[in-house]
Amino acid sequence: MLSALLLIPLLGALGLVLWPGNPSPEAVRRAALALLLLQLAWSVKVLLTFQADFGGMQLNEALGWVGSLGLDYSLGVDGLSMPLLLVNAGLTLVSAWASTAVVQRPRLYFALLLVISGAVNGAFLAQNLLLFFLFYELELIPLWLLIAVWGGANRAYAATKFLIFTAVSGILILGAFLGIALVTGQADFSLTPVLTQQLGMGTQLLLMGALLVGFGIKIPLFPFHTWLPDAHTEASTPVSVLLAGVLLKLGTYGLLRFCLGLFPEAWAQLAPALALWAAVSVLFGSLAAIAQRDMKRMVAYSSVGHMGYVLLAAAAASPVSLLGAVFQMVSHGLISALLFLLVGVVYRVTGTRDLEVLRGLLNPERGLPLTGALMIAGVMASAGLPGMAGFISEFLVFRGSLTAYPLPTLLCMVGSGLTAVYFLLLVNRAFFGRLAVAPPQPEANAAGQRLAPVDVRLAVVPWQDQLPALALTGLVIVIGLVPGGLAHLGEATTTAMAQLPALVAAMAAGPASGGALS
Amino acid sequence: MTAALPLPLQTAWLIPLYGFAGVLLSLPWAAGWIRRTGPRPAAYLNLLATLVAFLHGSLAMRAVFEHGPASLSFEWLQVADLHLAIQFDLSPTNLVALELVTAMSLIAQFFGLGYLDKEWSLARFYALVGFFEGAMSGVVISGSLFLSYFLLEMLTLSTYLLVGFWYAQPLVVTAARDAFLTKRVGDVLLLMGVVALSAWAGAMDFPSLYHWSAEAAASGSLSPLAATLLGLGLIAGPTGKCAQVPMHLWLDEAMEGPNPASILRNSVVVTCGALVLIKVMPILQYSPVATTVLLLIGAVSAIGGSLVAIAQVDIKRAFSYTTTAYLGLVFIAIALQLPSIALLLLFAHAVAKALLMMSVGSVIATTNCQDITELGGLGGRMPATTSAYLVAGAGLTGLVPLGCFWSFGLAAEVLVQQAPLFALLLLATNALMALNLTRVFRQVFLGAAQPKTRRAPEVNWQMALPMVALGVVVLLTPQLLSQLDPVPGIASFSPAVAVAVLGSSAAGVLVGALLPIHKSYARSILQPVRVLQDFLAYDFYTDRFYRATIVALVASLARLSDWFDRIVVNGFVNQLGRLSLVSADGLKLSVSGQSQSYVLTAVVAIVLLLASLSWVFG
Repeated sequence: MLSALLLIPLLGALGLVLWPGNPSPEAVRRAALALLLLQLAWSVKVLLTFQADFGGMQLNEALGWVGSLGLDYSLGVDGLSMPLLLVNAGLTLVSAWASTAVVQRPRLYFALLLVISGAVNGAFLAQNLLLFFLFYELELIPLWLLIAVWGGANRAYAATKFLIFTAVSGILILGAFLGIALVTGQADFSLTPVLTQQLGMGTQLLLMGALLVGFGIKIPLFPFHTWLPDAHTEASTPVSVLLAGVLLKLGTYGLLRFCLGLFPEAWAQLAPALALWAAVSVLFGSLAAIAQRDMKRMVAYSSVGHMGYVLLAAAAASPVSLLGAVFQMVSHGLISALLFLLVGVVYRVTGTRDLEVLRGLLNPERGLPLTGALMIAGVMASAGLPGMAGFISEFLVFRGSLTAYPLPTLLCMVGSGLTAVYFLLLVNRAFFGRLAVAPPQPEANAAGQRLAPVDVRLAVVPWQDQLPALALTGLVIVIGLVPGGLAHLGEATTTAMAQLPALVAAMAAGPASGGALS
Repeated sequence: MTAALPLPLQTAWLIPLYGFAGVLLSLPWAAGWIRRTGPRPAAYLNLLATLVAFLHGSLAMRAVFEHGPASLSFEWLQVADLHLAIQFDLSPTNLVALELVTAMSLIAQFFGLGYLDKEWSLARFYALVGFFEGAMSGVVISGSLFLSYFLLEMLTLSTYLLVGFWYAQPLVVTAARDAFLTKRVGDVLLLMGVVALSAWAGAMDFPSLYHWSAEAAASGSLSPLAATLLGLGLIAGPTGKCAQVPMHLWLDEAMEGPNPASILRNSVVVTCGALVLIKVMPILQYSPVATTVLLLIGAVSAIGGSLVAIAQVDIKRAFSYTTTAYLGLVFIAIALQLPSIALLLLFAHAVAKALLMMSVGSVIATTNCQDITELGGLGGRMPATTSAYLVAGAGLTGLVPLGCFWSFGLAAEVLVQQAPLFALLLLATNALMALNLTRVFRQVFLGAAQPKTRRAPEVNWQMALPMVALGVVVLLTPQLLSQLDPVPGIASFSPAVAVAVLGSSAAGVLVGALLPIHKSYARSILQPVRVLQDFLAYDFYTDRFYRATIVALVASLARLSDWFDRIVVNGFVNQLGRLSLVSADGLKLSVSGQSQSYVLTAVVAIVLLLASLSWVFG
């Protein structure tokens, strides 16, 4: 059942690459869309068979692979990975839908998109550390190519930076996984928590520190975030959607699954510092976003801020905060995908993302009224306005973390207030005011001529291009108004995860009782 | 439990939804899917939805007066120890407030038909007003702090969108931004309070919160610092909503928005904020600091708002600042634990201020001018507008026994005994309001006709009808107030107090009547007067103060972060990259080609590696 989630995109990618002849980009896109729809349908099928009341791994599939290495093909899904699978399936579909402008090498492009989606599925489903690592690395090269081949002007720099950062992240993670096997002597790479009896606290902290930095790069957390704004600025819109909506979640997923899940005791030791780190990351990301002129960079920095909430929630590790982390991952995925889509529309129509240049895009006749309306909705959702997904996520995170770490939580709430500041700047500058944009005229600019703003008539955006944004907005509102479904999906697992430290402590306190528990 | 309730109460949760339904109903016109009919049908649909809300509210009110209060509760989200429910508290007070909200919304929307006659995006306006009304109706009957917060934020959003309605104008852009950010600051602080209460108290409905705070205060489980911070957080939200100092600057800027929305903002939106404050007051009372801050905010707002209002030449701003002042009085009443007086004040103010804003709106619609120095002589030309102004003015001051006379009398009676200073403050606010009203009346309605007013006709019937109807309501306020507060009765204050209220109003009117007013010298040429006048006219330079402090701080922090990000974080990474390239180049040049050196390097490396390994694992 779960293997299909790997087979559909990966075999599909193979099929696209082997497509004979010279298919038109549109035909390839349609085929990719069909495959991704199938993947989404299959994910929904998994959701329907998924039993939300059970907190552990289910629908397990296992197959010995390279037993001597401890590398087993074993998959499973729980309340943490199930929502993320759906987000992945949905957002890859959105991304492929938005890839209308791909004319060069469409077969390769869509195949890479499918490989990423399949690899992300694999990473979320893997029940073996090495298998997770394989999928984690598998997604890296396609994304690098997507930025380096179909990216903007400065794409070589951004793509290389992305590659090096993420490769370092992968090395640290692999090192930590191998370290666990080496030090504990159990080379089965399974997802069982490491106990103090097996491993001294110092070694635990060292190994977990490596994992923390590794996933911290991916999330990204300050100060490892510097690859993200560059990657986003140079990536095309669909790739940005995928990067912000899906790939960053690999980092937070790893944080919860491997840092918290493998080292509950070490995690509890470090948690106060991690909460502070989260606050710093949130405030830094939000403040840096205020200073941006490029809309896309602004949205990228907002990711740095908003992913910090997940670290705060993980540090607190209470049932409510961990559920908040799941909510935040899903809602950030949807909202940032929405914002990147809309920024992409603005960029395509006006040729610029510069907030000093754009004005009055809400103009109902000559501007982008629908994009503007959706942008206001997305921005408000991101700022945590009630009735949309961002609010309930933030509320759960803050509510679950406040008693454990009051100061970092309050600081993160200040960061939430700052979100309103920069996104309001964005809407006010780009969408309010009189529509008078200096149109892109590179020749005139080169001559050093100052272009006076002129009234322009922007191209009409066909409704098909707005469909994904509309769907995402609808989903964000639905989750914001009826959060019960998502809560039910994640609750059993996050509650079990929150009890893990206590459970492990009990096992450490008395081996006899621990034996009974396991 | 709900089965036993009468139908209008069982379905009372629908009332806020009517407003929100109006949004969806207007969507086809607002989005331009239907163009053939023009945007009017959206307006009519919204009016209909509001009418249904009003009628449903009246049925519910009757049921409550017959059967007693009720409450509704729906499970919303339940995870671990967190229970969030949608709770409505259908008490008589809340339902009266609900009726006030829906009635005002109906009147303002009707007025809007005339005022926004030529507006091309009428449908969008009505959709936003529907949203506004839905959020307000929810806030007033909300039975839990969580729901109140939820809806207050929606109110913030709709205020932003309504103020930003004419988004192409530069002043509107800044006004909408300031409205949103000021309220948002209050909301984030309120959210901190809400989250803290949710974590500490568990349940979020008001009775449980009162119970918890009483217990926490009795057992001392809440540290004084935590109680103070909690109190200040809870105050911040209503302070922003009610445009109280220091979060008041948005309200006068918000006057850039369409007038029908200004009517609602100056009357019922601020009422919503104050009602939330009344509901959280039992939690606040255990924090002396919070109560003191509340009193201080109220006092500064009352006097400051009144003084600033007198220096304005923009007719809308002249009265929006008095809203700040009156809500300051309400804050004082709430802080002194006089909720019933606060409610009477709120009601009297809301009705009369709405009428005043309608009259102002009529003047603006007819003359296309908001500057009182360019207006004059409208008295004879616009009889309905003039009488509305006079009735509203009478309702807002204590000169004639209309709404505010009785509520001021009651308030002064209690204050004289509890806190005489605040009684004086109340009389001063009343006097300043009377002065302001008289001054504006002389400038706008009396005197010679000006170029912009010479040919001014009376407004069309869509504006006149709701104005006259509301005028009748204002004249009937004493009757309504006496029903609202049967015990001890609205006339239960001593003649001395009545004389004081009358005297202060008369003094204000007298000063306003005798004040030298010169159209072309509205700004005095005497240096000291001019400095004072500017100080007040520019609202104590609050916006400049904020720009020089908070805005500058955030902006410089943002620039610092950006600089740090580019130079330090990114610079480090780039340097590292360059270093590795340079060292690789260096290594390339150091290759000698002698096998001995290779062997030496390999041996040294192996030794170092083994040594470090044995150190780690040894």
